[in-house]
Amino acid sequence: MVFTGSLQTSEGGPYTAKNFQKFSMYRTYWQSLGNSVGVSLAASLLTIIMAVPLAFLVARYNIPGKPFIIALSTIPLMVPSFLAAFSWILLLGRAGLLTPIIRSLGIPFESIYGHGGVAAIFTMQFFPYVFLMTLSGFNAVDESVEEAGRSLGTGPFKTFLKVSMPLVLPSILSGTLLVFMTAIENFGVPMIIGEQKPYLAVQAYMEFTSEVGEHPGMSFALSVILILVTMTSLMAQRYYLRKRNFIQSARGRPLVRELKGLSYYLATGYCYLVVIVPLIPFLVAMTVSFMETRGPVIYPRFSLQNYIYAFSHAARPIFNTYFLATMATLASLLIGVPTAYILTRRRSIVGDALDLSIMLPFTIAGTVLGIALIVMFNTGILVLTGTWMILALSYTIRKMPFIARSSSSILYQLDPALEEASVSLGVPPMKTFFKITIRLMAAGIMSGAILTWITTISELSSTIVLQTPGWSTITVEMFNGIISDEMGLAKAFATILIVTAIVPLLIMMKFIKEERASLF
Amino acid sequence: MAVNNVSLEIEKGEFFTLLGPSGCGKTTLLRCVAGFVDIQQGQIFFGDRRMDTIPTHRRGVGMVFQNYAVFPHLSVQDNVKYGLKAHNVPAAEQVKRVKKVLSMVHMEGLEERLPNQLSGGQLQRVAIARVLAIEPEVLLMDEPLSNLDAKLRVETRGEIRALQQSLGITTIYVTHDQEEALSISDRIAVMNQGVVCQVARPWEIYSAPKDAFVAGFIGAANLIPVEVAGAREGVLIGSCGQVSLALPPQDGLEPGEQIKMALRPELIQILYQGETIPPTHWILAGRVTRVEYLGNMIKYEVSVADRVKLMVLSYHTDPSQLRKLGEEVRIHYPINRAMLFQEDQKA
Repeated sequence: MVFTGSLQTSEGGPYTAKNFQKFSMYRTYWQSLGNSVGVSLAASLLTIIMAVPLAFLVARYNIPGKPFIIALSTIPLMVPSFLAAFSWILLLGRAGLLTPIIRSLGIPFESIYGHGGVAAIFTMQFFPYVFLMTLSGFNAVDESVEEAGRSLGTGPFKTFLKVSMPLVLPSILSGTLLVFMTAIENFGVPMIIGEQKPYLAVQAYMEFTSEVGEHPGMSFALSVILILVTMTSLMAQRYYLRKRNFIQSARGRPLVRELKGLSYYLATGYCYLVVIVPLIPFLVAMTVSFMETRGPVIYPRFSLQNYIYAFSHAARPIFNTYFLATMATLASLLIGVPTAYILTRRRSIVGDALDLSIMLPFTIAGTVLGIALIVMFNTGILVLTGTWMILALSYTIRKMPFIARSSSSILYQLDPALEEASVSLGVPPMKTFFKITIRLMAAGIMSGAILTWITTISELSSTIVLQTPGWSTITVEMFNGIISDEMGLAKAFATILIVTAIVPLLIMMKFIKEERASLF
Repeated sequence: MAVNNVSLEIEKGEFFTLLGPSGCGKTTLLRCVAGFVDIQQGQIFFGDRRMDTIPTHRRGVGMVFQNYAVFPHLSVQDNVKYGLKAHNVPAAEQVKRVKKVLSMVHMEGLEERLPNQLSGGQLQRVAIARVLAIEPEVLLMDEPLSNLDAKLRVETRGEIRALQQSLGITTIYVTHDQEEALSISDRIAVMNQGVVCQVARPWEIYSAPKDAFVAGFIGAANLIPVEVAGAREGVLIGSCGQVSLALPPQDGLEPGEQIKMALRPELIQILYQGETIPPTHWILAGRVTRVEYLGNMIKYEVSVADRVKLMVLSYHTDPSQLRKLGEEVRIHYPINRAMLFQEDQKA
């Protein structure tokens, strides 16, 4: 099904692209490609600069409150990026709160709008990918490897560069790839901050809405480009990593070294700065949501008007969001976990092909997927357009790969001998799968499910395409609020979203801590 | 091919060991019996019941894994009960059996413990108890001791053997440790590259190895390549370079033939002052090139010639009898105890 979806888009693309004669349009597409790739690359680079030192400090030195830092760093991932964009506008837009302050300091700063702003926001929203992956990379480097380096003659810093860095490189790259892919398919941020300049995902959406239903041709051309770009980067990463298979037997935790005096304070300051700055927009959002607003004007007076309005008029979208997210998460689990099992436990050529096709949905931008699904299910046997199922389907397609991936990595670490032991003791294979395998994977599956749920409730790019009057979601309402300058309302929705994202996260963290105590 | 044309018959109640270096196919063979690996040709029988067509969970085998595979989310007691539940053993009987097997492996009182609170040795016992509880027809053990430290290995192997004998359960045991195999097995099958080289009792394997590989794998062998020279004063002589070695009488050896000779180190003795050499021994002169003092014995390396360096095991551990590095010595060995192997491995 995934295949047909992408085939559909590629069918529409070149076919109608040939029909389209306007040369000027051609230039816009090249521009949008250039802009999207450029901004995404810039963001990728910036995240490396920002997150790798952070990961290094947290992994290797005695920074206080590490769990806190890690928890805070995950928040930007769970909240819609366009919300961050919008909040930054409040602070750093042309008429933003902070803009005059910055100008008065002599820094030539116009506003957050433009390419730079887009890249900056991408960086702040997606840096956790690089941070968390690099952090676990650093933690996995065996201290004895570094000690060996030092005993052979290289000083601590050089050892870091020559021994540890290469070992961590795969993690850094994986994280960066995720940043790149998320940035390039992002719709909300360039839409709001991009100043009408062409970006891939935005262009696709624009084309689609202007050609409603009849010939979503041009948008397909764009989506083909998008898919090619992401597939190439994915392939490149797989190729690069295949040649560098670093298996390490981590005997002990790497040494945590002490920092004293000035360096200690500087390091701690840096860590907290990096982690807290991206959260500023959310704090802003929450504050504004509790204020009285009339359209775009905010009165600094406490008021619950936004929430009252939200719950009374938009109870349905709120319900929809949770309902759809739950459905999609369940579906992803039901498909993803058995798939992961087949991939990991029974390796074969079919398995490798399956592995690759699982990654395909990752490469399809949300807007594109939405468009493709509408085209596919508009007519014929299965008419899903306009129902809730098409939304749930879109989410499932987008999230299932994640569940499959994370389940496989859990399975890789699970000793097959445990399943064999169970079978040899008399429990048939099917029953063993449930009694032993799933049971031991439980914690990992749970956290995967929760992450899926959280990221689904804040999804916008495919939702905005697939939504219908009866089936809107919190994010759509937020978006509409922003577009129609209903500040407070938008913020109220945002806060609801954030809160409902954080609660499951806390549950998950507690859950993991307990499970870890009883497993090896 | 991992296992190539192997045919074995194991007696009821026998402790049968598959012994060989890494990659010889012993674990694969064990896993065939367990049912984790499908055989491409041949059959497996327990008694007169055909087994290779039956899935693992119905074979009634008890498998103990190298890294224990104790279920991490279940207590000791629940681990042991696991198989009992699967075999639909009534609850009252379950309690009895759990108690019985835990006392067999000396793990009483630890029923409620979780695996992450247990040491390697204790986990091993749980793995064994778990399997004994279901009273399997055949006990399969895949290098169960290799993850334990040396002293524990020696202690535990004796316990396993005692347990097996008291229960009389047919056991197939896989190991690469030849000392372990010799000490606890009824019979040993030495394997190499997917083929069984020899199946015999421990003392037969040691004193009458079928080929050079078995001789070299079990114990130290002092394998020397020798060219048959001919008879001299009634003794068959072989030469290795400039060195002449007496060979035990054997039919069918032609002068000029290239064979291999093996001498067990404990059979070679250093000649001490005042000792007389029996006429059935052959003397060589050499120089001590290595000394390893092991407390209860001493390992010398005696260089007889460039190509002939012999390991000699001596129990003359009195300090006044220690030989020094570089010392000139005379060594002798009983001619009839030397082992000969023709080039294509058969003796």
